[in-house]
Amino acid sequence: MREFLPNGRLEMPKVLRLNKGTEEGTRELLKFLLENKKVKGVFTLIKLDQSGGVAYSLVTDSDMIENALPLFPLMPANAAKMLSRLTLVEPATEVIAAVVRPCELRALTELIKRNQGNLENFLFISPTCGGVYPLKMAVEGNIEEKLPQYWDAVKKGEIASDIRPTCAGCEHFTPYNTDMTVALIGNKDVDKQCVISLDTDKGEQFASGMPGEIVEGGVESEVIKGLQSKREVQKKKLFDELGDDGFDMQKVFEKCIGCRGCSKICPVCYCHVCFFDSGGDEHPSCYYETELEKTGYARVLPAPVFYQLVRLFHVSMSCVGCGLCADVCPVNIPLWAVSLKIGEAVQQSFDYLAGRNIEEGLPITTFRPEEFDGVAD
Amino acid sequence: MAFSQKGAIFPVKQGAQDGILDFIKQALGKDCFDAILVPAKVPGTESFTYLLIRDEALLKNAYPLPPVMSVQGAKAISSLTGRGKGKKRIAALVRPCEARATVELFKLGQVNLENIFLISIDCPGALPLAEWAKDPKKAEDAFSEVLKGGPSESIRPICQICDKFSTTGAEDLHIGILGAKAGSIFLIPHSPKGEGILDCIGISAEADISEWKSMVDKLTEMRGEKKRQAQTELAAKAVGLDKLLDTFSKCINCHNCMRVCPICYCRQCFFDSDSMKFDFEDYLKRAEMIGGLRFPPETLLFHVGRMLHMSLSCVSCGACEDACPTSIPVAQVFSLVGARNQEAFEYVPGRSLDEPLPLRVYEEEEFEEVEQSYAGVSAKREARDA
Repeated sequence: MREFLPNGRLEMPKVLRLNKGTEEGTRELLKFLLENKKVKGVFTLIKLDQSGGVAYSLVTDSDMIENALPLFPLMPANAAKMLSRLTLVEPATEVIAAVVRPCELRALTELIKRNQGNLENFLFISPTCGGVYPLKMAVEGNIEEKLPQYWDAVKKGEIASDIRPTCAGCEHFTPYNTDMTVALIGNKDVDKQCVISLDTDKGEQFASGMPGEIVEGGVESEVIKGLQSKREVQKKKLFDELGDDGFDMQKVFEKCIGCRGCSKICPVCYCHVCFFDSGGDEHPSCYYETELEKTGYARVLPAPVFYQLVRLFHVSMSCVGCGLCADVCPVNIPLWAVSLKIGEAVQQSFDYLAGRNIEEGLPITTFRPEEFDGVAD
Repeated sequence: MAFSQKGAIFPVKQGAQDGILDFIKQALGKDCFDAILVPAKVPGTESFTYLLIRDEALLKNAYPLPPVMSVQGAKAISSLTGRGKGKKRIAALVRPCEARATVELFKLGQVNLENIFLISIDCPGALPLAEWAKDPKKAEDAFSEVLKGGPSESIRPICQICDKFSTTGAEDLHIGILGAKAGSIFLIPHSPKGEGILDCIGISAEADISEWKSMVDKLTEMRGEKKRQAQTELAAKAVGLDKLLDTFSKCINCHNCMRVCPICYCRQCFFDSDSMKFDFEDYLKRAEMIGGLRFPPETLLFHVGRMLHMSLSCVSCGACEDACPTSIPVAQVFSLVGARNQEAFEYVPGRSLDEPLPLRVYEEEEFEEVEQSYAGVSAKREARDA
């Protein structure tokens, strides 16, 4: 595996320490950035009024930061998709600080490689991520009561119970291309002390002047390593549920009703017109008549295996395992396992990891004179 | 609507579902049509979909009344015939709301009914898709209770207030279950095509069906009352901008509701098009106006836009609500809006193939109250220009 040191990342980053809870400290930082006009806007999760849920928002009024819940363990949308939308037509003309999860940052990196947005004028703040709860839990409105045990698990570097299977099996929970890292995993005083690593020069510049102390040191790494191996075990379990080698696609996808929410919500499924919206999968009536002659029956749309295969074919190289596809599936198809497993297999065969580094070219658009010799034979 | 007052009584050995299959077998055997489009279990799985079946033996997988509506039947018919009629004569066995949606798609040019025999069945409702997805076996058991006439609390909220659970008269043939004596179902033809099927299997439609009619009327009235109540309650919670915002606050913009909607047929949704892509400055300005802009933006606008596009043809089938990952009562809200809009035009979607879509009909005198305000504007302009 080739090593990549993400762009501009300092080898010995300094750390900003605030004597308050991590979420409050992060909020304070955002407020500081807005009030001191270091940024024009902040992109973060905001508490929705009554329903108990959160939504991403582009906030320009520093008073509104009071409602920000930048570290709330829920992913109502993949931030990469939102930031791509924000910068698709033109790059940001003002500086925006964005608090996003590591997988969202990776997805954004993939989208940038695919010309679906722009990183210019962004300051990225990303936590070491403890995972998020399923959307359905937010709908039922009982995430609040889970929070104490969530933060307890985060402190200890354990896997919080009931987080989404895809998060429980995610090893890439430390951010790759961020300017600041909010230390959560293994931060024993997560509710008393806010520790933010300033990973790039840009991160240091923006934090300067912030009340609190800036000292030498990094984020906790032993606990992170420990969690990584716990998550790996969990991932294997998840893969095993699908079957040892390969899996029965007919069985896994059988319940699909063809709503294609998995595609609409996927950060890397960016086609402006999906093949399956273009009529590409429609057939003239003679097709069905031929099928009838051949087998005595024909299945009319949706064709789940075909659809899912095409989608995997398109996105697996850039899949970051964010899990939203499974979250929105109305019939509970275990897409977390499918996306993660296929994504990993495809990416590993190219020594690639989606979203690891912006400089790392997409394998399918990068020519290497020597690769896949076996296929060449 | 004038329904035919006569029908045929078809003998049934076991339950209604088996009786319907028996009827199909006979009709297929006698070549009354070439194949049947019917909800069926995907062989070897627990899932339901629409299968086009020619071979009698394969009918063992068919479930004329499946516990869930995993695919809207009108969409299945549109898949089959959307690119033109085929050579085969196909009978499509669907729920009444699916038949009504098919009629609407016909008016919208999305299905070809020339070689289709549209057959509907008295519908007991369907279970919420989520319940079935959690435990298919349990759902099937619960639904068999519903089929036996057990308590209907387990069916979807939108089905519980459905007052169009039987024929609207636009189908070729309707299968009546309500009011039928044990061991029989009614076959009620509504068109020469439907009569043709009965002729073909050699039974006449001369039997009295008033038992069925009076049961349908009774239940229609009960459901209608329930619907009025439910809609009044919902209106108190969902009508008005603030309440609408609340109702849809959990929307994550996945567009599942649009994708499964039988009426939403646009190739490219306006909300997926370039018209809805704005530049950074635009988003920033909108954020600054109110202090913060939610992302994805325009979630409520999407729903209002969709209402504007399809509510006149909304058949309240509930597919949208089934597919919503955040449990928004989409179908109930759309059904409420649909009912109001349809009432304004005295239009009932799916009632008749000949009744044109209201927006395509010019009537010299309608909505005068709207006209007035424009007349006022133009009078002012004329006065100014003079």
